Amino acid sequence: MNKITRKQQVWLVTSWEFMHFFKWKQEIISKLILIAFALVVMLWQHIKDDQMTVYKIAVPNHVSNLQSHGQFEFIATNKPFEELKQQLAQEDSWDALLVEAPAQQKDTQVKKVSIYSKDKQSWLNELEQTLNQQYTLQYASSLGLASEQLALLNQSATFEKHYLDDTIKSESSPGQATAIAMLVILSVGIFTSFGQLFVSITGEKQQRVTEQLYACMSPQTWIDGKIFGQMLHSVKAMFTMMITAALGYAFTVVVISNKALNFSIIDWALLPWLIPFALVGVYLCTAFMAAIAAAIDDPNHSAKTSIMLLPLLPMVLAFVTMDSPSGWALSFLSFFPLTAFAAMPVKMALIDLPLWQPLLSLTITLLLCFWIRTSAGNLFKMGMSMYGKEPSLKDMMKWMLSKS
Amino acid sequence: MELLVNNIQKKYANVTAIKKLSFNVQQGEIFALLGPNGAGKSSLVRMLTGFTSPDSGDISLTIDGEKHTSIPAYTLGYLPEDRGLYPEKTVVKNLLYFAQLNGVDKKSALTRAKYWLERFDLLDRIDAQLKTLSKGNQQKVQLITAVIHQPKWVILDEPFSGLDPVNQEKVVTFLSELKAQGMTVILSAHQMAMVEKLADRMLLMNLGEAVLYGSLTDIQQQVGSTAQLNAHFAKPVTTEQLKQQFQEADYQLLNPTTLLLNLSAQHSINDALSKITALGDLAALHSKEMDLHQLYLNAIANHGTLNGASVNE
Repeated sequence: MNKITRKQQVWLVTSWEFMHFFKWKQEIISKLILIAFALVVMLWQHIKDDQMTVYKIAVPNHVSNLQSHGQFEFIATNKPFEELKQQLAQEDSWDALLVEAPAQQKDTQVKKVSIYSKDKQSWLNELEQTLNQQYTLQYASSLGLASEQLALLNQSATFEKHYLDDTIKSESSPGQATAIAMLVILSVGIFTSFGQLFVSITGEKQQRVTEQLYACMSPQTWIDGKIFGQMLHSVKAMFTMMITAALGYAFTVVVISNKALNFSIIDWALLPWLIPFALVGVYLCTAFMAAIAAAIDDPNHSAKTSIMLLPLLPMVLAFVTMDSPSGWALSFLSFFPLTAFAAMPVKMALIDLPLWQPLLSLTITLLLCFWIRTSAGNLFKMGMSMYGKEPSLKDMMKWMLSKS
Repeated sequence: MELLVNNIQKKYANVTAIKKLSFNVQQGEIFALLGPNGAGKSSLVRMLTGFTSPDSGDISLTIDGEKHTSIPAYTLGYLPEDRGLYPEKTVVKNLLYFAQLNGVDKKSALTRAKYWLERFDLLDRIDAQLKTLSKGNQQKVQLITAVIHQPKWVILDEPFSGLDPVNQEKVVTFLSELKAQGMTVILSAHQMAMVEKLADRMLLMNLGEAVLYGSLTDIQQQVGSTAQLNAHFAKPVTTEQLKQQFQEADYQLLNPTTLLLNLSAQHSINDALSKITALGDLAALHSKEMDLHQLYLNAIANHGTLNGASVNE
């Protein structure tokens, strides 16, 4: 007789579940596409730098004294407009033709400038910016302003906020970015398991594999394996996303912008807390979705499919309440079992908290995880005995509250 | 190690699936569950596997001094009524997964998988996706899944369905081999000829109740006379003529000129012969022993109305 432990069976189901959706070929191809994309961007940047084109802009009957700047060479000409227009259309003498409306009230009126080009080009936007800068300087000069005075006018005020609630972290701290990053990454993890778990559980029920599986292990073992397998996928997706985002950021900063790499936009001190909250959150949501999927008999006709979207709600609520980190809403959500995993890390990123608060929040979430996981097992077990009939929400609640 | 089923009853909503059912299954035997669709076989199998529990009565099985209320998973091999494996996976991956879930290490599982696949002429399809196999071959893979871990108890729900006669014979040999290896096999089937060849004992159920129970000999004794007369008439006989002479449950008009008559206590041979000759001129007359198929049909017919349940032959 072969005896196998429950742990061994859970691990077998977990690895089967993970490998069922993990395709080496797809993983490699997607990473190669990313690398190719980065290379194309790099190459484009290189080509652009090497071949900086100088655009010749004809300015007939010029009013303003435009100075050539960067890519743009402004050439004053007395040639008639029609002749210039013909040259623009038929020859390569000009890249654009610029016509200023004559000033009615000299130097005080906003200029109206018409730009003619052969077709729509991306550098036309840059031309507009260059012209605007030059006109601003001309206005300042006509008003008798020195360049230092103009700089003062353009300088905006800086504001420094001070809160009497000294637990709120300063605005310069990386809390906000950390909180948003955490919510985005959590959503990615939960979305990953959402689709796969649904396909996996309802698919096995449709393919009638469940009865064969039920003969060799308990419903709880099966559901535990499913949850862990999908959780591994979520963790993999979150990790991949973090790595990709970090590499993308590094690529943009170092390769494209030629600046020094700076990861201080993230509050790294929070990481030891974010990891357990993220893991518990993903487990909770996966277990919840497993419970719902276990009660669905026919995915094409079940109204319960939409309930599976509920796990995204905690992220949305945490996001909309993060503007007031010490307010009652985020405080309530941080200890409410269904939302604590998303709300508490956000709160922690934005304000300083005593240690007992995240600990209590984590414990509450863990207890809920245990209950939902047991409920998922109960639902699957009861669903098996219903011979294709789908349970009502009332039945589901009854089973979730029953002992396994 | 004997499986004892004592006075069990099971209700689903307003339907009583199993009514006061008692029997036992001896270790090492092939035990057949027979009965028309809706007789309660699948409900019984689900209770034996522990998927559901009886509302009253009890099931008991003692293994190594430990008492169980159903066949424990680690001793069970199961071919469910609702067949299903992973169609996208290969044959070998399916077999290894279920073997490992039942505690067989990967290396041994592969050896056993190859052995059974060869026995079923499927070794060359070991790396094929399951969905690419014919329905019959998928059924064979499912059968191997049920026994690859060499369980002590094997429950096979309709092991012959979907198989051609050649493969049905292979399954007969397969089941005999399981028995020779010391496994106890409980099977439900409608192929009476196969059951007659294989089963040591059987339980015939109808409407959740036991109708006949025991070995074929026991059952023949329970039924009484099991002789049949096969009469061929020179001219067709009518059902009205037959109804005048015999009770409806005792005969079967195979075609307008061929009558199959069960000899029972009510009909001695002399009595039967005089009634047969009264129907018309006889062209031929043979006698034979009733086979399991006929015993089954008679027992179901005598048990009362089928209440909509159909008798599958």
